[in-house]
Parts: sequence; structure tokens; C-alpha cells
Amino acid sequence: MKLLLISAFAFVFLALVAVCGAQEIRVPATVSAGVETTISTSGSGEGTLYLLGPGVASKNQISLGQEVRLRADDLKHSGEYLVVVCSDSCRSAKFQVNSVQPARVVFLVHPSRVPVGQPDAVSGVAVPFDEYGNLVVAPLTVNFRASSAKETLLQRSARTQGGVSWFRAASGKAAGPVQVDASLDALTARRVVQQVASEPCNLRIKGQRTAKGIIVETEPVKDCSGNLVSDGTIVTFSATGPGERSTIDAPIKGGVAQARIIAPEPVVVSVASGVAMGNELHIGAKP
Amino acid sequence: MIFFGRIGNVLRCRQAALVALLLAFPLLAPADGPTVNVQLDVSKASPRTVEDATRNRILLDYRFAWTSLSQALDANTADPLQGPFTGSAKNWLLETVKQQTKSGLSTHYSDQNHKVDAVFYAPEGDMIELHDTAGYRMQVLDRGKLVYDDRIVQRYIVLMTPGADRWVVRQLQAVDRF
Repeated sequence: MKLLLISAFAFVFLALVAVCGAQEIRVPATVSAGVETTISTSGSGEGTLYLLGPGVASKNQISLGQEVRLRADDLKHSGEYLVVVCSDSCRSAKFQVNSVQPARVVFLVHPSRVPVGQPDAVSGVAVPFDEYGNLVVAPLTVNFRASSAKETLLQRSARTQGGVSWFRAASGKAAGPVQVDASLDALTARRVVQQVASEPCNLRIKGQRTAKGIIVETEPVKDCSGNLVSDGTIVTFSATGPGERSTIDAPIKGGVAQARIIAPEPVVVSVASGVAMGNELHIGAKP
Repeated sequence: MIFFGRIGNVLRCRQAALVALLLAFPLLAPADGPTVNVQLDVSKASPRTVEDATRNRILLDYRFAWTSLSQALDANTADPLQGPFTGSAKNWLLETVKQQTKSGLSTHYSDQNHKVDAVFYAPEGDMIELHDTAGYRMQVLDRGKLVYDDRIVQRYIVLMTPGADRWVVRQLQAVDRF
């Protein structure tokens, strides 16, 4: 009886080994994206091979025991691939497709316009992708450089973590375009940030009474770094006379703002823009 | 008078039927939608801190993306992919649907549990990187016949960017380790 049981178990075990062995699948551990590979099966006879992965879901008849070629075109996307081979029963195996060397750097830079002299005002994120659009996850060194015609604002290397590297930097002192580069070996992605003048710093006005009224005008309006403040910035002129006060808003044009004040009485003209105040101008009564 | 009374009875019957239908709706509604559980931890995200409202929105949109992915690959339809995916992720998912349709295959995902960590949130908030350790049951069917059935744990690197009205999945890439 005991011998019979042992024989039965041995028979079942051998049968299982025979069935399983008939569809053993051998796959590579890892494959590079866009590179063809082969898998092999054991056993004999016909079978059906399923290949499932990102962007692929194919079904083909194969001869068991022979190598099967997987086309490069079916292995473009990085990720996990599943191979299922079915004849009497189904067996499966998995392998990983990894991204290849970077072919493109996606580079996000903010903002497109920035006032000068601002801390942590410019930031950039670089994300390398291979030629098939896979994120390159392996650590890489990205060189960031930001420079204008007058100065180098940033020169820094950063390793990608999880496929991403980034920087943050202060804006420079001079208004004008700043070229921001992210370089990875021979690849360079370039963006341009326009640095503009900051708030007006010192306001000075001059003026005189004319036949048409009091003409007041600022000297060229500059920020604290000496950049001409952008045209369109509003300058407010205030005229205070005996018992009367009037204000005029005038946009800067060509670096200066101008206003005409109608006041026959003597007045004190003052000027302001943003938080900056200017000098006062005492104009006598109309003769 | 009798005429209006009959109309009143009919209306009352219809109202009662409507109420009954509304009460029964949760039972009548199809319960075949995939179960997708997502836990999102944003405490390690840098350099920008993820605000609560943003976290909640990303969690909802990421869960919706997986629900849509499951529906698309189960029914071989591209429609569910139109909203929650873009760029590379959308391209390969559409290609998968196309090839599955051609081969007569379908993939069924169920019992999904996603443990997601936000690891990078861009300084200007225009991109977030998630690391998702996803556990799910995956079944592959060839014209309705089961050819593969397994419970899987898979790691994904995910890039999401803000769209017009939601966060969209731009990159969904399975990796062997983070």
C-alpha cells in the first residue's frame, strides 16, 4: 500500500515536471529600448505566444523549443513586458525594458519676464528623455547656465533624481535678455528670460510755467540698479495750491513721464511712482 | 373632476415610481467599475510644498487615470484615455488598445491598491513626480479565454502636469526599482 502511494506521488510529480518543462520560457533580465531580443521556450509542438507591454499586445503562433525573435519596434517603450506561452497550458515570464541614452531634454523655465535683483526669482526643471520618449531614470549630470551680455548669473551642475533635476537662482542686475541653458553631454536646451527693470528708485522732476500751463517732466526714471524703468509704468504728479489739490497719472514713455497742470495760483508739484517719492517743485503764480 | 383626479393619481404613481427608482439606483447601477484605492503621501515632495487642495486634486485625478486605464484596456476603447492622459503615456496606451483590438486580447485590472509618494514638485508647481507602488490583479483574456491571471506588485514613475481643469498623466513608466 505504502509503495503504491509513493509510486502514485512519483507519477504525479514526473507528469507535472514533464508538463511544466514543456513550456519553460527563458527571457532576458533586461533589454534596452528599441533593441530586438530573443526569448526561448522548451518543449515541442505548436504554441501561442503573447507579448504584452507598454504599446504592445501581440499574439503569434510559435514552434516550441525554438528561439523567438521579438522585434525592436515592439520594445520601444520602457517598462515591464509580459510573455505568455500557451499550448496545453500557459506559462509566463517577465522582463524589463530600460530607457537608452538621452536624446532630448525637456526644459521648463519660469518666469519669462522677471524684475532685476529678485532673490530665487528664476527656476528651471530639466527632464531628459530618450529617442523613444522614455524618461531616462538613471542619474545624469545636467549643467545649468544662465548668462546675459553683461554677467553670468548661474553656473551649476545638478544630478537627476528620478529623471529630474532643477535649479533656482536670483535674477541679475541688468535689464535685458538672459539665456538659460540646460546641457547634458552634447544636448543643450535653451530658453530666454527677459529681465526688466524693477520698481523706480529715485524720481526727480523739473518744470516751468508756460503759456499753456505748468509743464512738468521727470528725469529718466531708473530702478535702484540703474535700469530705465519700462515704458507704461505710471507716475503720479500732484499739484497742491491754496485750497486745491489735483493729481495727474502719466505713463512713462521713452524713460520719462510728462504732465501739464492748469493752475494760475502758485503750486507745489510732487511726484511718486510705486513706493518711490520724488522731489518737490515750487512754481510761482501766473504773471 | 374625475378626469383631473385620474391625472392626479397617475402623477402620484409616477412620483412614487421615480422615488423608488432613485432609492433603488445604487442597487441598479452597474457595479463593474474597477476598484482603485490610492494613498498619496506628499510629505517628502520638494522643492515646493504640496498644498492640501493640490494633493486632494492630484489624488482624485490619479485615481481617475487608473480607473480610465482599466476601462480602456478591459473594453478596448480609447475614449476613457482622452481626458486623464496626455503625451507619451497617452500614446502608448492608445497603441496598446489598438493592438489588443487587433489581436483579440483584453486586460482586466482589479483590486488595485496604489501607494503613491510625491517625490518632486516643481518650484512653479507645473510638474509633479510620483512614485507609485501598485498592487493589482491582472488578467489577460484572448477572446474571452483566460490566458494569464496573477497578482502583481509593480513600481511606476509618474509625471503629472496641470491641464485646463485637472492634473493629467504625461509619463507612466514601470521600473524595477525607484
